[in-house]
Amino acid sequence: MDPLSASLKIAGSGMEAQSTRLRIVSENIANARSTGDTPGADPYRRKTITFGAQLDKASGVDVVGVKKLGNDSSKFIEEYDPSHPAADAKGMVKLPNVNMLIEMADMREANRSYDANIQTIKQTRELIAATIDLLKAGQ
Amino acid sequence: MQPIQLFEMASRQAEWLSVRQEVVAGNIANANTPKFKAKDITPFNSVLDRTHVPMARTNPAHFASNDLSDEVDIKPSELNEEIGVQESGNTVSLADELTKTGEIKRQYELSTGLVKSFHSMMLTLVKR
Repeated sequence: MDPLSASLKIAGSGMEAQSTRLRIVSENIANARSTGDTPGADPYRRKTITFGAQLDKASGVDVVGVKKLGNDSSKFIEEYDPSHPAADAKGMVKLPNVNMLIEMADMREANRSYDANIQTIKQTRELIAATIDLLKAGQ
Repeated sequence: MQPIQLFEMASRQAEWLSVRQEVVAGNIANANTPKFKAKDITPFNSVLDRTHVPMARTNPAHFASNDLSDEVDIKPSELNEEIGVQESGNTVSLADELTKTGEIKRQYELSTGLVKSFHSMMLTLVKR
């Protein structure tokens, strides 16, 4: 595969990875207050995502992909709310371990990286266009 | 009459630039990959200096030696001290990489522009 098409492929894989990351962030934000429904039940657990370099076997190009979707094992937040269906004997309700600030920062970073990949695609397209323009030189 | 070397040189540079673009695209795509080390390729002048005799292909089933792949090394790039290593062990600096793509584009346009003008000069020579 020629390097310019490979660049397009790599940048595309980067965009795909970043959008999966955005999906995970939006799942976390949407479930920021999802509790259990039986006394003492565990609420939603924050999801994490890791990327890794992968070899695309069809083209022999090193692309990027999602390596692992995991769970954040940090402690749940506890709040006193005896009337809640998920409240335990002491009236404490477990809330998801989602920190809005972290999610927002993650979202911003995913956006930045997505933009950077788009820039790569734009630049590569311009390089290809410059090459094709050589054909027009004689006219 | 001496053959015109410019086309040979321009195509080598275009190839070198596109390999570099591929490496930079890889760096940008891996900007958030843990433990990823940013890469770069050997500078063009050292590629140009190295004269090499390619191995003859006596059978079509032999691997074609890519004109550049033997000469261009992909190696970890120097660590940018201002950015350093991130918490995840990643050393990609997005700003640096975007600067590099801009540089690549400028050089590519310069070399294709030169080829274009040389081409039109040669056409004036043969045209009626």
